[in-house]
Amino acid sequence: MKFSGNGLYVEKYVKCMNCGVLIYETDLPKSVDAGDGKLYCGKWCLNWAASRAERKSKESA
Amino acid sequence: MTYYVGVDIGGTFTDFVSFDIKKNTITAWKNPSTPVEPFDGVMDGLRKMPDLEAVSRLRLGTTIATNAILQRNGAKIAYVTTKGFRDIPFIQHGNRKSHYDMTWIKAKPLVLRQHCYELDERLDQNGDILTPLDEDEVLSLARKIRDDGEVEAVAVNFLFSYINPAHELRVKKIFAEQLPDIPLSISYEVLPKWKEYERASTTLADAYVKPLVARSFASMKQRFEAVGLGGRVAVMKSNGGESSFAGAAAQPIQMTVSGPTGGVVASRAMSKLIDEPNIVTFDMGGTSTDCATIINGEERFTTNFQIEWGLPIQIPMIDVRSIGAGGGSIAWIDKGDLLQVGPQSAGADPAPACYGRGGIEPTVTDSNLVLGRLKADEFLGGEMNVDLELARKAVEGVANKLGMGIEETANAIVQIANNSMVGALRSVLLEKGHDPRDFTLLGFGGAGPLHICDLMELEGIPRGIVPIHPGQFSALGFVMTDARTDKQRTIQQTSLHFDVATSNKMMKELVELAVNELRSQGYTQVLEIYRNIDLRYFGQNYELQIPFTEEKFDEKSLEDLWKRYHEAHDARFNFYIPGETIEMVNLSISVVAPTPKPKLTKIAKGTGTPVSMDERDIWFDKTFFATKVYDRSDLLADMFVDGPAIIREDSATTVLRPGYQVQADAYGNLIITKKRK
Amino acid sequence: MDPIMMKILDSSMVSVCREMGITLMQTSYSTIFNEALDFSCAIANTDGDMIACAEFCPAQIGGMPLMAKSIIKEIPLDDIYEGDVLLHNDPYRGGLHTPEHTFFKPIFCEGELRGFAVSIGHIAEVGGMVPGGFPGEATEIFHEGLRLPPIKIVKRGVMNDDVWKIILANVRTPRYNYGDLRALISAVDLGVAQMTRLYNKYGANLVDQTSKDLMDYSERRMRAEIEKIPDGIYAFEDLVEDDGIEDRQYKIAVEVHKTGSDVIADYTGSSSQAKGPINATLGVTMSATYNAMLHMTDPDIPKNSGCFRPIKVIAPPTTVVNVDFPAPEVGGNTETHPRIAGTVIGALAGVIPHLAMAAEGCTHGNFVFGGVHAASKEFFACYDIEVVGWGGRSFADGNDACDSINGNCRVTPVEVFEVRYPWRVKEWAFREDSGGPGKFRGGVGYTKTLECLNDEIIISQMTDRHKTYPWGLKGGLPGDNGATLFKQGGKGNWKNAVQLYGKASPSKYSNISIKKGDLVSLVMPAGGGYGDPKDRSHKAVKQDVAEGYVSINAAKNIYGL
Repeated sequence: MKFSGNGLYVEKYVKCMNCGVLIYETDLPKSVDAGDGKLYCGKWCLNWAASRAERKSKESA
Repeated sequence: MTYYVGVDIGGTFTDFVSFDIKKNTITAWKNPSTPVEPFDGVMDGLRKMPDLEAVSRLRLGTTIATNAILQRNGAKIAYVTTKGFRDIPFIQHGNRKSHYDMTWIKAKPLVLRQHCYELDERLDQNGDILTPLDEDEVLSLARKIRDDGEVEAVAVNFLFSYINPAHELRVKKIFAEQLPDIPLSISYEVLPKWKEYERASTTLADAYVKPLVARSFASMKQRFEAVGLGGRVAVMKSNGGESSFAGAAAQPIQMTVSGPTGGVVASRAMSKLIDEPNIVTFDMGGTSTDCATIINGEERFTTNFQIEWGLPIQIPMIDVRSIGAGGGSIAWIDKGDLLQVGPQSAGADPAPACYGRGGIEPTVTDSNLVLGRLKADEFLGGEMNVDLELARKAVEGVANKLGMGIEETANAIVQIANNSMVGALRSVLLEKGHDPRDFTLLGFGGAGPLHICDLMELEGIPRGIVPIHPGQFSALGFVMTDARTDKQRTIQQTSLHFDVATSNKMMKELVELAVNELRSQGYTQVLEIYRNIDLRYFGQNYELQIPFTEEKFDEKSLEDLWKRYHEAHDARFNFYIPGETIEMVNLSISVVAPTPKPKLTKIAKGTGTPVSMDERDIWFDKTFFATKVYDRSDLLADMFVDGPAIIREDSATTVLRPGYQVQADAYGNLIITKKRK
Repeated sequence: MDPIMMKILDSSMVSVCREMGITLMQTSYSTIFNEALDFSCAIANTDGDMIACAEFCPAQIGGMPLMAKSIIKEIPLDDIYEGDVLLHNDPYRGGLHTPEHTFFKPIFCEGELRGFAVSIGHIAEVGGMVPGGFPGEATEIFHEGLRLPPIKIVKRGVMNDDVWKIILANVRTPRYNYGDLRALISAVDLGVAQMTRLYNKYGANLVDQTSKDLMDYSERRMRAEIEKIPDGIYAFEDLVEDDGIEDRQYKIAVEVHKTGSDVIADYTGSSSQAKGPINATLGVTMSATYNAMLHMTDPDIPKNSGCFRPIKVIAPPTTVVNVDFPAPEVGGNTETHPRIAGTVIGALAGVIPHLAMAAEGCTHGNFVFGGVHAASKEFFACYDIEVVGWGGRSFADGNDACDSINGNCRVTPVEVFEVRYPWRVKEWAFREDSGGPGKFRGGVGYTKTLECLNDEIIISQMTDRHKTYPWGLKGGLPGDNGATLFKQGGKGNWKNAVQLYGKASPSKYSNISIKKGDLVSLVMPAGGGYGDPKDRSHKAVKQDVAEGYVSINAAKNIYGL
C-alpha cells in the first residue's frame, strides 16, 4: 500500500499477486519481490503460484 | 361458597390448588396427567376435594389449543384472501431459521395451498375501496367450500382490513348464512394490526383450533355440570386472565400457551403482597425452563410468540421465554471435547439414569443426586425411589472422557445448565434494557428451588425467593387472577399530522369492544381500563409502548405523550432525537374485571434457627460440605438458616450455598440473600 | 483451557452481540436494517481477530475478520482513545461494498485497550449515481456513493460534527441516514459497556486468555469437520451473465484443494474484472468461501476467527473475485457472493452430496428506487429485497421463498410497502413449474408486480439470473430464471429494460424513470432440482399437482407420472 506523503490518501493499492491480500509497509519485510512487478505476500504464495503453474502446464501437455 | 380452585394440566402431572376462604388455608396436590383425555385426570384429582358444590370458582389451564397446534392435528381449514395474495402464508418472512443449516425445512402453514382462495376485492393503504367486494363471487366460493366437503373452518384475511373491515364483515355474514356449520375467523376480529403475514398466520391458527375447542369445551361443560360445578368454571388465557367457556371458544387463539402464565400471575400477586416490584421468575421443570419478568409490579406482555420458527401468533400474551434446559437435560461431549448440556432431554422415557428405566446418559437430575443436593428417597415426596449408583455410573462415563472426578463432572454439568438458564434470564431482561442485578430472582417448579442459589451466585443477583407451594405455583396463580381482555388496533398517525377526531373514535370503539366482550361473558363488576400506545420515531420500524392515562387525545394529552416518548427512548437507548416526528402505530387496550381473590395469610412467627432434621454431605464447587437438612414447615416467619443447608418440602428442595442465608418472611416465602459478614 | 469458563464466556459474549443487534434493529430507520436485518455485531481483539458474533447477516459475519484487521492496519492502536468511534466502508480495504458501514468502538479495561465492539449495517442510500445505492450501470467507485476510509466519527465521546456534515450533505435522505448511523453507534456503545462489565467481572487476563482458547476450540472443531471430506482437488465454474455495461459473461472458477484438515479455495482462472459493478472485493470472496464451508459443516461451531483458520482463499488481483480500485463493486456483495459460495458447494457436492444442494436462485433482487413524495415533498429511497427458491437436496425439496445464501433478510410486507412508498402491489404469487424438476424439486420462484402511483419514481436494479439458470445436481433440472418486465401505462406487452429502455442488460440498469400507471414485474428465480425427476415418488408428484406447484403436463412429461 502506498500512501501519499501527507498520509491523507492512498496512491497505490499494493496486492499479493497470488492470494490478493493488501501488502502494507509493515508487511514488506515478509514479502517476496519476484521481479517484473510481481510481489508476493510471502514465500508460501510464491511457491503455490509456481506449483500451480507447473501443474497446469502438465495438464495441458 | 368456600373454595377457589386452580387446576394446571401439565405434560406429566396435573397440579391442583384449593384455597379455603373460610379457613384461609391452601391445600396443594398433584395427580398424574392423562394425556389421551386430559379431563379424566382433572376429574380424578378433584375427587380429593371434600365438596365440589362449595367451590366458588375453578380456573383451568388447558393445553388443548397448544397441543393441537404443536402436534398438527387441528381442523382442515380454508384461507380466503385478496386476489393475488394467496401465497402470503407460504412466502412467510423469507428468512431462514439458521444462517448455515442446509438441512432446515421451512415451516408448513396450517392450511394446504389448494384450500387457499382469492376474492377480487382491494383496499388501499387508507382503507379506501379500490375494488368492491363481488357478492356473487362470495356466494360462489361458499358453494365451492361446501361442495369440497373437507373444510371444517375458514380464515379470512384481506389486505388493509384492519383499517376498513367492511369486506371481511360482509364475507362473515354471507358465510354464516351459507355455511352455518363451519366456524369462521376473520382477521379484523382476531388481530386488527398491520403486516399481512403475521395477521394471516394468527387468523389461520384461530380457525385451526376452533372446531376442536368448541367440541372439547362443550363436553367439558357437560362434565363439570354433571359434578355440580356448572357455571363456576373458567378457562385461563395466555394473557394470564380468565375467560368464560363461550368467550374462549369464540377466540380460541387466546388460549395458546396459557399454562406457564399461572406462575407469572402468582409472582405478580406475591410481588404486590411483599412489596418486591422487580422480579425475574424461572420455572424449571424436567424438559424446559420458563422465564418471565415482573417490572414495577406488572407482568410483561409480548406479541412475538411463534408456534414454531416462522409461524407467528401475535396475540398479546404474558411474555414467557422457554429454554430447553431442565432436570432431564442430557450432558454430552462434543467434537471439540467440550462438555455440553442439552438441549436433548431424557424426558419421561428413558428418563434420568437414576430412575432406572434404562437411561444411561447423565442428566442434570443425576448430577444433583451425585452432588448430594437430591436424596434418593426424596423424590416426589418419597413416593418414588431412585438409584444413586446408576446416577454415578452415568456421570462417570462423561467424567472419564474429561479426565475429571465424578463429583467435579457433576458440578460442571450443573454449572453449564445454570449458565444456559442465566442466558435465558439475561435475554428476557436485557432486551428491554434491564440489569439482572436490579431484580429479585423467584424460582419455582420441580427444580427451580434446587438451582436458584447457584443462579444468584452466577449472575450476582442479590435476592432470591422460593415462594410457598413452589411445586404448584402455577395452579396457585390461577386462583389469584382476574378476567381480562386485550385489544389492539393499528392506527397510523404522526405527531406532524394527527387526526384527533378519527383517533378518538378508534380509541372509543376499541374500549367499547373490550368492555362489551367482558360484559357478554357475564362480568358485571366495575371494570378497570388501561390504555397503551405503541410509538416510534417516524422511519423506525419498532415501537416502544407508552401508557396513556387520559381518556381522549387532545392538544395537552398529546404534548405530554410525545414528551414521554422522547424520555422513554432516551432511557432505553441512550439517545433521543429532539424535534423528530413521532409515529403512533397501535392502540393497545386492556380491560380487567377484578374477581374476588383469596388473601394469603401470614404464618406463625418464630425466632432463631429451627432444629435440623438431618445432615448429609453436599458438594459445592470443589469439595463436600457437611450440610444440615431442615423441614420447611419448621421455618416459621422471621426464622433463618445459614448456608450450606437444604430446606425440604414435599414438592421441592431448596439448596442454600455456603455464604448465603435464608429467612422465612411473614407469609412463609423463603428469602435468600448473601450472608451478612 | 477451562471448558466451563469458555462456555460461559462464549455465551456471554454472543449475548452481548445479540443485545447490540437488538438495539440496532429497534432504533434504525432503513427497512433494509430493521425489516431485512441486514446488519451484524461482533467483538474483536486488538489483533483484529473476531472473537464472538451474533447471527444476523452471513455475508457480514464472513467479512468481519478482514474488516477488523484492516482498521488495525491503518489506525495505530496508540492513536485510539476511550470514547472514540471509528468508521469505514472502503471496499478496497477489507470492505464488502459501499453501502456496508462498519463501526468500531474500543474497549478499555483499566486504561488499557483490550479490543473492539463492532457493528456493521447496510445503509440504503449512500449518494452516488442512483437513489438506493445500487447503480446497475456504474463504471467506477465514484458512481457508487460516498467512500469513507477509516476515520473517527466520534472522538473521545464527542461527535465529530465536520464528518457528519460531510456525510449528510452527500446523501439524498439525510434524516434517515442520521437515524441509521446513530443506531449503529448506539449498538457499539452498548457493546463496549457490556464488554467492560465482563472484563471487570472476570479480569482482563482471564477474558483474553479464554477468548484465545475459544478461537482454538472453534479451529479444532472446524478441522474435525474438514477431515471428514475426502482429500482431493475439486473444480467448479459458474457464470455471471452480464455486468450492466457489456453483454459478456464472467466466469467464477474455483479449485478446492482439500488436504487433511485444510481447505484452500483457489479462484485463479476467474475472469478479469468487469467494467460494471458485479465485481467482488477480496472481503466478499473470503466471506463467500467461509459461508460455503460453514454451510457444509456443523452449524453449532462458535463463529470466530478460529473457525476460519483452516480455510485459505486465493483470489488474484484485478479479477471479478478481487477487484482493484477504482473499478465498481456494489453488486459483488449481494449478487456475486452467492455465486462464489455456490461454486464451492458445487465443487464439493460430488464428494459430500448429502451436505450439498442444487443452485438456489442466487440473487436478492436488489430493486432500488427513489423519488419525491407527492404529498410531503420529502425525498424517499428504498432498497427492496426479494427472495428466491432454494435448490433441491439429497433428502428434501428446496425451500420456497428464502433469502439467498449470503443474506438472511426478511421481505417487506405489502402493507408496510404501500404505506411507505407510492407503489401498489398487484400480485405476489408463486409460479407453477418454476422449481427445477428432480427427485427432490427445487423451491419455487415468485412474481411480484407493482403499479407506480407517483408522478415519477426512479428505479435501478442490480440482479442476475435473467439469462442463465440456477443449475441442478445429479440429474436434476435447472430452476426457472428471473426477469424484470415493464408495461408502460399498464398497456401492451411485457418488455424488459433492454427492449423498452435501451439498456445494456435486462438485469442491471440505472435510473429508469417510471411514471404513474406503469407496471413493473419482478420475476424471481427458483431453485435447481436434485436427482432424476423420474425418481421422484408418485405420491410427491401428485401432491405437487394438487397444491399447484407442478402442472399436470409437467407431471406427465417431465416426472413421468
